[in-house]
Amino acid sequence: MLDFFKKIFNGEDNSSKGQANNRLRLVLTHDRLGTSTQLMEVIQKEIIEVIARHVEIEGTPDVKIITEGRRAALDISIPLKGR
Amino acid sequence: MDNKTAEGQVIVVTSGKGGVGKTTTVANVASALAKLGHKVMVMDLDIGLKKLDLILGLENRVIYDIVQVIEGECTLKQALVKDKRFPELHMLPAAQTRNKDDITPEQVKELCAQLKPEFDYIFIDCPAGIEQGFRNAIAAADRAIVVTNPEVSAVRDADRIIGMLESANFKDIKLVVNRIRNDMVKSGDMLSIEDLMEHLCIDLLGVVPEDKNVVVSTNKGEPIILNDHSQAATAFNNIARRILGEQVDFPTFEEISFWNKVKSLGRNLFPGN
Ligand SMILES: Nc1ncnc2c1ncn2[C@@H]1O[C@H](COP(=O)(O)OP(=O)(O)OP(=O)(O)O)[C@@H](O)[C@H]1O
Ligand SMILES: [Mg+2]
Repeated sequence: MLDFFKKIFNGEDNSSKGQANNRLRLVLTHDRLGTSTQLMEVIQKEIIEVIARHVEIEGTPDVKIITEGRRAALDISIPLKGR
Repeated sequence: MDNKTAEGQVIVVTSGKGGVGKTTTVANVASALAKLGHKVMVMDLDIGLKKLDLILGLENRVIYDIVQVIEGECTLKQALVKDKRFPELHMLPAAQTRNKDDITPEQVKELCAQLKPEFDYIFIDCPAGIEQGFRNAIAAADRAIVVTNPEVSAVRDADRIIGMLESANFKDIKLVVNRIRNDMVKSGDMLSIEDLMEHLCIDLLGVVPEDKNVVVSTNKGEPIILNDHSQAATAFNNIARRILGEQVDFPTFEEISFWNKVKSLGRNLFPGN
């Protein structure tokens, strides 16, 4: 999730147009999902809890939103510990 | 047209945000199509805040309005206003002293069903907002044109409207970007066409520049498409030709084809779209 925000705010473009684009990317993603940025944090925490109930997690899980066109998807990467 | 055979198409022009240029687009694209000889109807559904009659310069010719037609005070034919400059252009005026919820989506559908055999194109001028007026305006439409300005609040509202049109099963939703200023885009102070396409992900129908001639024409109540020296006029004429299915280039926006490619690539990554 943090990556998602970083990508958005680290925009190389500091013009007012660049800022408008960055703000729109973030706001449209959440408008379309009908979620707040807060809710995404909760989802991330709960997904990790469910997985951790069954298998041991190793390293740092990464849950972020990726967008393609008007569609959004959760991109979840959770490294698991082997025996 | 006399040789009219197929049923007419109903096209709603909408935006979410107010004041972005819906009525100006309806008035000019409809006039352009009528000038080319197509039989065109413009229906003002901005009940309570009508402006289409004024922008077309037909305000003194209005006798009855759409609510009177629906309530049976006059016939549909009696309420239609003909435009002397364009014999093929007709207007069904809104009521000024009534409200958006004085008519229903079913009544609009019924009216359009009566008009479709008589006209090639029926344009619906949608009010701002996402409430009853919007629901009335999209009820009978086969296609939608979303008008926006290169500005964050207008783009956010356009995105919401596109989502609502998709939920209402619209398959043909096209974008018109109005009031773009190339000098500001170049200096990095205005969203470009490519930026808007990236955010909204729908096909582009037209790009209308900011043009002071629009204000002059509006003052006079003359469609701007009659002005040969206006860039906005060229833009509206091009939109009319694209609606007819002609391939008309976007003169100064070559990069657009690139974004269309990126977009269709994105769609393919998501099955079921
Ligand atoms: N390309 C343009 N260049 C300059 N002025 C414009 C342009 N397009 C529209 N305008 C002006 O912007 C104002 C609003 O336009 P218009 O009434 O068409 O918007 P609208 O979306 O129909 O508004 P509403 O939501 O109130 O119905 C008008 O005064 C019009 O003259
Ligand atoms: Mg209007």
